[in-house]
Amino acid sequence: MAELKFFGYLADLVGTRKKEVNLEKPIPLREMLPSPFPETNIIILINEKVGGLDSLIQDEDSVVLMPILSGG
Amino acid sequence: MKGYAGKLLRVNLSNGQVSKEEIPDSTQRDFLGGRGFAIKLLWDEVKHIDPLSEKNKIIFSTGPLTGQSLPSSGKMVIASKSPLTGGYGDGNIGTMASVHLRKAGYDVVVVEGKSEKPCTLLIEDENVKMVESPELWGKDTFKAQDLLEKKHGKNSGILLIGPAGENLIPISTVMSQRGRAGGRPGMGAVMGSKHLKAIVIKGTGNISNFDDAKLRELGKKGYEEIKGNESYEFWMKQGTMQAFEWSNENGCLPTFNYREGVFEFSKEMDGYVLDQLHVGRKGCPMCNMQCGHIIKDSNNQEAELDYENVGMLGPNIGLKSLPQVALLNRMADEWGLDTISLGSGIGFLMEASEKGLIPEKVKWGNFEAAQKLVQEIGKGEGLGKLVCRGVKAASESLGKGSQRWAMHVKGLEISAYNCHGCPGMALSFGTSPIGAHHKDAWIISWEIANDRFSYNKSKVEKLIEFQRIRGGFFESATVCRLPWVEVSFGLHWYPEYLEAITGEKRTWEDLYQLGDRNYNLIRAFWKREIPEFGRKWDYPPDRWFEEAQSQGKVKGIKVDREKYDQMLSWYYELRGWDQNGIPLKETLDRLGLKEVSKEMMG
Repeated sequence: MAELKFFGYLADLVGTRKKEVNLEKPIPLREMLPSPFPETNIIILINEKVGGLDSLIQDEDSVVLMPILSGG
Repeated sequence: MKGYAGKLLRVNLSNGQVSKEEIPDSTQRDFLGGRGFAIKLLWDEVKHIDPLSEKNKIIFSTGPLTGQSLPSSGKMVIASKSPLTGGYGDGNIGTMASVHLRKAGYDVVVVEGKSEKPCTLLIEDENVKMVESPELWGKDTFKAQDLLEKKHGKNSGILLIGPAGENLIPISTVMSQRGRAGGRPGMGAVMGSKHLKAIVIKGTGNISNFDDAKLRELGKKGYEEIKGNESYEFWMKQGTMQAFEWSNENGCLPTFNYREGVFEFSKEMDGYVLDQLHVGRKGCPMCNMQCGHIIKDSNNQEAELDYENVGMLGPNIGLKSLPQVALLNRMADEWGLDTISLGSGIGFLMEASEKGLIPEKVKWGNFEAAQKLVQEIGKGEGLGKLVCRGVKAASESLGKGSQRWAMHVKGLEISAYNCHGCPGMALSFGTSPIGAHHKDAWIISWEIANDRFSYNKSKVEKLIEFQRIRGGFFESATVCRLPWVEVSFGLHWYPEYLEAITGEKRTWEDLYQLGDRNYNLIRAFWKREIPEFGRKWDYPPDRWFEEAQSQGKVKGIKVDREKYDQMLSWYYELRGWDQNGIPLKETLDRLGLKEVSKEMMG
């Protein structure tokens, strides 16, 4: 099962802060997200490494999507 | 030049003399305003003095964008030689006073000397006078604001200090409008040293711009762009507090005096909790994305929260209740204490107590002890006496190895990002021109999005780019930095705004150079005021190099000292400074600072 965590306004956009998905084969992250999804000013970490919307997600992957912030 | 009043108001509190001076076009062009005007004045006029003596000067400085009908333009910069760090100190504050100052026909106010008795400075357009105000002395900033509003009108622009500033506490700030704060490096104490309790400003004029119609049109489009951004709605719900969950996830939330980067109770006090407790909003004038969220504190009073004060007065001292954090924050605002330095000082004492370095028992998360400490720090008494001059001075006084975990750079306490696993952000704190503060180069987000644990030159180049935009341009313009990244507000707007205001075309390359000029002059000021100033001032505390965090994403990771050293060397090289961090003659000359290089190098 792949786990996707969403932070900030991205959670509102997706409608949840956490999503778990069973994957039989790897699929691009983009296909697991609503369309359109922000392409810029976001942080994508897959298993704690920098990824992208076209990265292939496999079962058991941990994905974090968060906005770029500016600091309080 | 259009868009400026072109006037500096100078008030000498020792003899009551008031003068109005022209600001040359060349100063407007080369230094822009805000921080730029402030460092130019301090370099020219404040040399080798005690920051709390009457020879110091405090500067209230606006820029060409201040008070215009443009997004987030209600800011001014307050600057002086810092009693906390001994170097250049400044901070921006969003307040009606900025707008009124521009309407009153001044770009800058310089206050010098010292009043014999507590006083208030009244600025009503052309009429400027000092009035004795013994009834305000000793009053907290909420009560004093009430009295001043009653006397001068609710819509006046008011800047004031609390008892901490009166008591010359070096971590005191200038306050406005019950909870707005600015000037972390002891600007409140500088006002207190002059017996200046408050400044009240009422302006009725208009700013004369090059093309008002164009400016109105651009401003309208700017506000619309901000409101139309997809992250706007969420921003309005959580503001800067969205960084709380974000920092915890990334192992950057300051916890137990920066020993850890994740807090077990973070979900009990994050932006979602804030949103549930929200009872109102506060912020700067001219802003349509106001960041101050008001909740009821544990005494049922209203308190304005943001990420920095929650991070530092929450997890950093082990406190897990948002209403309790709000009460500490409200107390800090009443006393006129900087919440970041306050949280760092309390965390320092709690760690010292845990390690048995002080006899008093001050446990992590002890709310009653924290309340008592706020008062003691505001008075400079009891245990508060140890940390009221900042954690650098406290650790020098306490010794016993505490310097290794006194969390500051250049004497200014680090704001709420733990950088064990963020070497670029550690360098950003290390090279911030006022000491460790987040406003100049908040590279942490970019760093995590790209190549978090690397120490490469491109990261240093990015850091300098951020410093040029944020610490260089925004602090001098003078506008808030938050619209840019938080709601993706386009940087292209700013040269357009400047052209409509002044009639002069400027590119971002021009503005970068302006930022570099201000940075170099600030660096020269530090060197002149502290002769031994140099490379060792640009390092974060040993804790980040020597002790790894035990939990979260950066468990086991610390900053590599040798690699940090290499990044710092690249930083100096890119800045045109020698390897001790001092600007080279050719750098100063290239930036039009020949008089400065002559004074520094003969």
